[in-house]
Amino acid sequence: MMDINRRNMWIGIAVVAFVQAAFLGWMIWQRAHLLSTGHEVVLEVIPVDPRSLFQGDYVALGYDISRVPITEGRLKRGSTLYVTLQKTGDRWKPLSVSTKKPENLPPDQVLIKGRVEYASAPTSVSPGQATVRYGIEDFFVPEGTGQELEKLVGQKKLDALIAIDDAGIAGIKGLMVEGKRVYEEPLL
Amino acid sequence: MSRYARRLDQDLARWREAGWLSADGEASIRRDVAGRSRSLEVAPVLGILGAVLIGFGAMSFVAAHWNEMARLLRLALIFSGLFGAYGLAGVLFDRDHPAFAHAAILTGVALFGAGIMLIAQMFHISGHAPDAVLTWALGALLAGIVLRSNPALALALLLMGLWSGWEMSDTNSVHWPFLIGWGAVAAAMLWREWIPGLHLAAIVLSIWVVTIGYFLLDGHGHGVVVAIGLIIAAVGLAGPVILGRWRTWGEAAIAYGMAIAFAGLFALQFIENPHLDNLILLAIVTLALVVGGIWIGLKNNNGSLLWLGYAGFSIEVLALYFKTVGTLLGSSLFFLSAGIIVILLAVAAYRLHSRVQPGVGAVP
Repeated sequence: MMDINRRNMWIGIAVVAFVQAAFLGWMIWQRAHLLSTGHEVVLEVIPVDPRSLFQGDYVALGYDISRVPITEGRLKRGSTLYVTLQKTGDRWKPLSVSTKKPENLPPDQVLIKGRVEYASAPTSVSPGQATVRYGIEDFFVPEGTGQELEKLVGQKKLDALIAIDDAGIAGIKGLMVEGKRVYEEPLL
Repeated sequence: MSRYARRLDQDLARWREAGWLSADGEASIRRDVAGRSRSLEVAPVLGILGAVLIGFGAMSFVAAHWNEMARLLRLALIFSGLFGAYGLAGVLFDRDHPAFAHAAILTGVALFGAGIMLIAQMFHISGHAPDAVLTWALGALLAGIVLRSNPALALALLLMGLWSGWEMSDTNSVHWPFLIGWGAVAAAMLWREWIPGLHLAAIVLSIWVVTIGYFLLDGHGHGVVVAIGLIIAAVGLAGPVILGRWRTWGEAAIAYGMAIAFAGLFALQFIENPHLDNLILLAIVTLALVVGGIWIGLKNNNGSLLWLGYAGFSIEVLALYFKTVGTLLGSSLFFLSAGIIVILLAVAAYRLHSRVQPGVGAVP
């Protein structure tokens, strides 16, 4: 550092600080854009693990689509899976599962993109099943409020308000109790 | 005073008493040594430690979840912390406090990582966690290259290791992209001509190579690890002889290669559960490797290789002891045969040594 002149040093400082800050800003912008422009979908929250939903500062949320039937043989951990959601009543339910992105969906259907955690291949007696994550499974809560949310999940009273963009990327917009929006955080 | 200076101090007194050195000569040597000595100063070390602590402090904010603060305030805090740390680094460089400046850079890089985590938490982003670590590593690499900061490069290297380790434990298969990330950081260290950094890079790569033995060939790839280690050691052994230079690098390659091969052999013997006759064969190969390492260490007066050899020998013998307790091969029989093998090797080494350097008796 001593061998380059001071002007270059300040330019370097500015480059590093702005590139890193720009990345963080991009993260925020991308998420804000997703939440404000994405398709709004309501998914029923189901208990994932009866032992401990509340882990530290976040509540683990499970959905209908966290476990989906598959017809494909071997699905590797980390591979991509598309689930088509269909609006039924107030909520959205899974309609079909595919490893390729379906095109030209009717307006009452939305695509959500997931990442395979585990998958079992179908056998002659049982269908295959995949455990999938969509990036909407962790809900960070203020300290001390996790237990309360956990109770609501246990009573199956909780719904999640999800925003999904055209590529199928999903984000949690808020949580709903008996149709009323709670925990909806402002964008900024 | 460094170890070298202390030893020289004793030698100078002895040489002057023997009449080999004039008082003037001694004074000149002492002045020269004092002028060149770069003892580790306390202040920069404390500065670095302080930066590490601040980094941990920022990250424990994630755990504490700082929910009392308004969202905008939290974001403002992340960004002002980032700019503040780098700005402080600039000011410190300007005032010729490079060590403190590097500590400030390290703080900046730590805050960048904390920022990724905090923003992910604020917006409930639960993506693929290793991707976040890779992003952090790239931020550290950028700071290391642009600001010519060795501590930032060291952090980038460790984060690359964390990234790869996480990916491997997640997917249960070898994570080849690590080599690209590692190569980028190692190239930056080479460009900086930062020797301790290159050793750190070699250690991280060695650990990675040993790790892939547990994932290659359905988890039985330790033989490949042994082969890679032996090739590295062979290159280190033959390279300087053929090229006539890079002796220090060659010796380093021997040490890393032998350590990798040893780790692979260790897994073959004690994790794979081989047949007894295979175990004996592998144990003999391992002991020969270790004794070979010690011998090269003695021959080249290379302390690190010597100590690696001693450590490897002790680990091997201890592991064999626990493995053979109560088996067909009695422990006493094993130690008897191992002892005989080592003594035979010692005799061979002694013969060779006295032939190369006549007049020199036992090795030190």
